[in-house]
Amino acid sequence: MRFFLRRLSFYLVALIVAASINFFLPRIMPGDPLQIMFGQQMARMTPETVDALRATYGFTDEPLIQQYFQYLGSVARWDLGLSVREFPKPVSEILREGLIWTVVLVGSSTLIAFTLGSFLGLLASWFRGSWYDSIATPLSLVMQSIPSVVICLTALFIFALGLGWFPTGYGYDPQLDPGWNLEFISSVAHHAVLPVLTLVVFQMAAFMIPMRANMINLLGEDYITMGRAKGLSSSRVLFQYGARNALLPSVTTLAMALGFVVGGSFITEVVFNYPGIGYIMFQAILSRDYPLIQGHMLIFTMVMLIANLIADLLYVILDPRVRTGSGDA
Amino acid sequence: MSALLEVKNLCVDYITDQGSVRAANNVSFSIQPGEVFGLAGESGCGKSTVAFAVPRLHNPPALISSGEILFEGENILHFNQQQLQAYRWAKVSMVFQSAMNSLNPVLRVEKQFADMLMAHGYESMKACRARTGELLDMVGIHPSRMRDYPHQFSGGMRQRIVIAIALALRPKLMIMDEPTTALDVVVQREILQQINDLQRELGFSVLFITHDLSLMAEFADRLGVMYAGQLVEVRPSQELLRQPIHPYSHGLTQSFPSIRGPIQKLTGIPGNPLDLTKVPDGCRFAERCFKATDLCREQEPQLIPHATGHVACHHPISIAQQEMSHE
Amino acid sequence: MLFFKLLLKNRQALIGLAILSIFILSALFAPLLAPHDPKRRVGGIHQPPSAEHILGTTRLGRDIYSQVLHAGRISIAVGLAAGLITTIIAVVTGLSAGYFGGRIDDVITFCTNVILVIPQLPLLIVLAAFIGQVSPFLIAMIIGFTSWAWGSRVIRSQTMALRQKEFIHSAELMGEASWRIITVELLPNLISIIGSGFIGAVIYSIMTQATLEFIGLGDPSSVSWGTMLYHAQTSSAMWVGAWWDILVPCVAISLFGAGLALLNFAVDEIANPKLRANSAMRRWKKMQKQIARESQA
Repeated sequence: MRFFLRRLSFYLVALIVAASINFFLPRIMPGDPLQIMFGQQMARMTPETVDALRATYGFTDEPLIQQYFQYLGSVARWDLGLSVREFPKPVSEILREGLIWTVVLVGSSTLIAFTLGSFLGLLASWFRGSWYDSIATPLSLVMQSIPSVVICLTALFIFALGLGWFPTGYGYDPQLDPGWNLEFISSVAHHAVLPVLTLVVFQMAAFMIPMRANMINLLGEDYITMGRAKGLSSSRVLFQYGARNALLPSVTTLAMALGFVVGGSFITEVVFNYPGIGYIMFQAILSRDYPLIQGHMLIFTMVMLIANLIADLLYVILDPRVRTGSGDA
Repeated sequence: MSALLEVKNLCVDYITDQGSVRAANNVSFSIQPGEVFGLAGESGCGKSTVAFAVPRLHNPPALISSGEILFEGENILHFNQQQLQAYRWAKVSMVFQSAMNSLNPVLRVEKQFADMLMAHGYESMKACRARTGELLDMVGIHPSRMRDYPHQFSGGMRQRIVIAIALALRPKLMIMDEPTTALDVVVQREILQQINDLQRELGFSVLFITHDLSLMAEFADRLGVMYAGQLVEVRPSQELLRQPIHPYSHGLTQSFPSIRGPIQKLTGIPGNPLDLTKVPDGCRFAERCFKATDLCREQEPQLIPHATGHVACHHPISIAQQEMSHE
Repeated sequence: MLFFKLLLKNRQALIGLAILSIFILSALFAPLLAPHDPKRRVGGIHQPPSAEHILGTTRLGRDIYSQVLHAGRISIAVGLAAGLITTIIAVVTGLSAGYFGGRIDDVITFCTNVILVIPQLPLLIVLAAFIGQVSPFLIAMIIGFTSWAWGSRVIRSQTMALRQKEFIHSAELMGEASWRIITVELLPNLISIIGSGFIGAVIYSIMTQATLEFIGLGDPSSVSWGTMLYHAQTSSAMWVGAWWDILVPCVAISLFGAGLALLNFAVDEIANPKLRANSAMRRWKKMQKQIARESQA
């Protein structure tokens, strides 16, 4: 329990740091933040409107520290301000619409990449030195160092435009009404294939390479040898004795890798016009909708923190040494 | 009486980028049913390599390159994967060096009994639990603790759990690879005593690997001394410890205090262990040996019958000589 | 020096080095190699590869071959600069946290942990968005100053492991100054980790730069692989069938990244011999097979 309280308080601090960056950034930039946000529109506004906007966005003449706590208070109430482009629609509302798409996209691709990558890494360690290992291992590293833009554009070009197997964009067929029916769901699935696949390709190495390294280090451990000495089958030793222990460090990287995936998913959504928060962010960048951009960073920070929390939980489930507290680990 | 285990001309190589290194060279010995056979030598002499060869547990880069390992007359080097799995633990079980690390940290103790029992014919979890309880009781651990994880036990208890697992299938041979080195001295004694009692009671054979000769005096029936991958002397343990014939065994016995005997000055063996990548033509011990002659440097001595056992030396220390020096 | 000898014997390292040197040389000599000015209209709109324009032209009639050569200069320079900044900060923070421990460690570890849970790209985007159209120099700076946390963490844990070693203890007992222990005793032992961290940081920086520019946060008048992609995308090159316009920068980034990745893979293998899938393993396999065959016979 102490462990969780400690983690929770850390996550809270991290969230405050992210919010503080959001708060101070427009204020340390040279010039009037409202001017940056609204640009030319400002010239056509009456002084009263400008003052009202100033109050709405919190750029008042009050002392900075007071503004700061007001801002933190509104973040705590999940009030992220109003969008500039779709004024006066609240940022939190716009983001909520996109969030489900992104969570499904990132969640499913991470799950697939984690399972597949760990499994392939396991095989590579078991068949170390075989042709499979000497091709798959460097290849996955190479794939990892190709930017997701390139992977997405290539996939789009070959499988959507070229072969026409998959749609070129959006989350579902816009002619259908969203609903829980087979037609709509299969349309969603069909549209999700390419975005998910590109993200899987992009992430897989992040799980495969550490898994291989951990396993190779573990294979020398006494309990693995004892597992073999006990007459257990190779697959049993590989999974119950090797993989479960080798996965432990992977779980901690899982959450860290997510920060990386978030970047990848952003690009995927842009390239495939996928209606998640990454795409919303892209629109916000094009129209310089600063409150929306800032809200986006906060919401992604939240997603990261939740993912870290899940990883903490998973770790506790997988490693009894943490769970039962005592012990020398 | 035919031997339980016969190792004949066993060679184990380590394959490295720079070439092969022979970690065990032409090792031959046998173990009778119910016998405790000790294998001693400095670290790196190849004794653990031999121990690992008996259940064929080597990982790359180690490779059994030639020789025979006969268990009850069958050459286990010819076993396929299935035969090997059935043979491991049921016939030959093993207790490893490090008590801390030989149990899987993420599985409950009962699970680590059960997976082995199930692999060897037990069918229900209930039967497994019953057997686990019996075994834990045998080594003095309360059966109710079978649902705990390894980290909840002390080092000595973990090693007793491993011994209990090793006894589970009533194997005919138990290999003990320095089973007590990782424990403190008091626990060491306790564990050894327990192994000794269990061995008397159940009558299995033991292959006991150690660098500590003093442990062998009371426990082992016969003793083999290894140097640089080769057996240099194999004799009944009491005799070997009292009157070593090979100069290296002599050096080893002098470098440990004897527990009961008269107080003697401890002397080490001069020089360093042999670098196995640079093996000389002659005797491997010649460089460090006080009796070495040109013959030793040119011709390799063979392990031949001598007195009550086998010795590989051109200039064995005669027993008569030692009797003199003792008086 | 053994390190470099091993590097030159490694197949992956050689391929990687070959790719990298081709790219770096062609970027260095871009003004000599490029037939046209990358920023001037020299041909028709979206012309496919031909003898005159071997990689085709863009929507604005610019020669893609000349562009990709010149773009390499900026992209590689940004990658190296950002990688260097990242590595320097990571080494300084990681070493001091690992070596001094205590309060210093607490503060640094806390900061790295916070940075690690704040998602990188959204943070970069917020920064870039407020700064406005970001020049390549600024991109290098903001990437460099925001992505050192992971490297710092790795170096910290390695330093802590090294600190337990006897040679460090003895140096401390002999009363050597901390800066001397750090630079003379610790740093040389961390060199392979720092090296692979640097290569990783360069890969990351080049990828991130391309991403930021692709979504329009870069300076569109500079010529880099990322802005080439940006212009190709905004001119719908893929949809009008001008695949070369997209393909060329894609291939350039991927090849350069692959070269770096192969080099990094080799460095890792040399630093951790255990992970190596080397000739000894192959020899072992062969001998094992032969013995098995003989015993069957």
